[in-house]
Amino acid sequence: MGSGRVDVVTQGEHGEVAPGSHACAVAVSDEELREITASFVSSGLARREQVLYFHTGDEGGAGPVLDRLADDRVPVSETLSSGQLRVISAAALRRASGPHQVRGLLHELAAAADAQGWAGLRLTGVVGESAGDAVPAPIAQYDAAVNEFVRTHPVGPRRLTALCLYDDGHYSPDRIAEIRAVHPQVLRAPAAYDDGLLRITRHEPTALRLAGEADHSNREVIVKLVERALDQALRSPSAPAEVELNLASLRFLDVTGAVALVHTAEEFPNSHRLVLRDVRPAVARVLDRCGAPFATQLVVTTAAGRARPAG
Amino acid sequence: MKVEPRVPEQTLLRHSVEFHDGPTDLVTRLTAIARARLERGEQLALALPAGAERAVLEAVGTAGVALLETGFPPGVASGQTTAVLRARELRTLVRSEPTVALLCAHDPALDGADGGYWTELDAALNVTLADLAIDVICLYPAFPLHLEVLDGAAANHPYLHTACGLRPNPDYRCPRVVLAGRPRSQPAMLGPPDVRLEFNSWDLHDVRKLVATSLTGLGFDAVRAEDVVLAVNEIATNAVEHGSARAEIQLWSTRDGLICEIHDSGGALDEPLPGLKAPHPAEPRGRGLWIARQLCDVLHVWHDGRGTHVRLHAGA
Repeated sequence: MGSGRVDVVTQGEHGEVAPGSHACAVAVSDEELREITASFVSSGLARREQVLYFHTGDEGGAGPVLDRLADDRVPVSETLSSGQLRVISAAALRRASGPHQVRGLLHELAAAADAQGWAGLRLTGVVGESAGDAVPAPIAQYDAAVNEFVRTHPVGPRRLTALCLYDDGHYSPDRIAEIRAVHPQVLRAPAAYDDGLLRITRHEPTALRLAGEADHSNREVIVKLVERALDQALRSPSAPAEVELNLASLRFLDVTGAVALVHTAEEFPNSHRLVLRDVRPAVARVLDRCGAPFATQLVVTTAAGRARPAG
Repeated sequence: MKVEPRVPEQTLLRHSVEFHDGPTDLVTRLTAIARARLERGEQLALALPAGAERAVLEAVGTAGVALLETGFPPGVASGQTTAVLRARELRTLVRSEPTVALLCAHDPALDGADGGYWTELDAALNVTLADLAIDVICLYPAFPLHLEVLDGAAANHPYLHTACGLRPNPDYRCPRVVLAGRPRSQPAMLGPPDVRLEFNSWDLHDVRKLVATSLTGLGFDAVRAEDVVLAVNEIATNAVEHGSARAEIQLWSTRDGLICEIHDSGGALDEPLPGLKAPHPAEPRGRGLWIARQLCDVLHVWHDGRGTHVRLHAGA
């Protein structure tokens, strides 16, 4: 730790923030922030840890992240009502200004999680977004306190795992280097495409996930990536006969985009199909109006029975 | 959508006109046609001014008669919108009835400034109803207030309806020719909009956000609001894709819902009235405006020297 060496992990099938570590991620888009947060939260919930999500109150507060968790089929309402997942205003964290106070707060939170029988404590949230914050000092103190706590509680029920999220657009490259330097782990979440409106991630060579909005400005890239995935599927005899697009987090698809998906599927060889998974109702309606029900090589599944958290 | 120069062979619609001398003559003629059709066991649809409708129903009864929507507020009437609505109404009707006849009559209340509503309506009906094997019989006054009404009626009907059946109309012109020959009817001007935004291809997200924000508090449910946002998105996309790099959206929130105009500064349209027909499934383009027309209560497109303009009304 003292060496200052930073461990870079890549989010994906095998990569995630190691339990008992303090990591940061610098996201280039809102969709990336939501993806990273939801993945970190759901990993903690699966490990029976208590997860505290600090939100700044901007951009709809915790709503978008809870929505993304529901997209990822995390039982949001249940974990919120059991207290395993807690959503807390970041203002509470900011009020703890001195290093002593931060340390005290961490001890308090870890002890409470332990007392309630959780296997550990997980903290995440976007840091230092408040317009009034002059940034450096309090964050550095907070990071130092978290580092110390993580070091002194590497295992056991009071084990702490923390992921600090930063919005790339708010900081200079120098500042980002400083931020990375004070976190023992840096999490990266690579995307096949991310323009701030639409984010496409590749989970397998033939499985993509779309998050955000697809319109005139970015629709061409979708078809291009689907065609590349089909190419992969055709080249490899072991690859599945389906190209899968998870659309759980696609909130808008325009008519030309829907027509393009229907046409792309129709041009698939007979052996292969395009599967659109967990399609939201609004997107499903557009697909319906654009002939999706008549495209034999297109399969559309909606996220039936998926409870979206209120608000 | 392709508008052929003559009545295309695949056209199944039989669209005819008959002229009358005044209100009494109109009712006499309407009643005679209605009675004959009902006696032949045909399903009758009526799109008549209120007084004429009442008189016809008194004479022939209501059995086998469907009443189509006619209550358009005068300031809002749009011939192209009515033609899309008629296609929707009649498509539903022909699903259950083998033989359908639509009886229409001119209503001076919808003339607007120059009677252009009727020219646009009949030209657009030739497009939206082309694939329906039905009779559409329109009664027009021989001496209307606006000469435009007479010229339009003469040019838009491929057939003349007479006591001895349909005769070809030598004055018939295809919709493209009719519409190219006259300025597209511009709707009544509105006051200054509540909000306006200039946008380009990369700002469509902001356009959607603006529309979604304007819809809150107007009583739209979530599904309807999403559909209206989609409709506006498609028109805005067309404006920057086919019109001009920059376009402008203007919004008015009213008691009856949202009114939206989108203006681009592009050149003349390929199609005089785009989006009237569902494009062939293999055709990748042209579906956006058609879907937008299905989702809006009024969708009126017009072109002038400054560019292409679209006004839409969407109720909750």
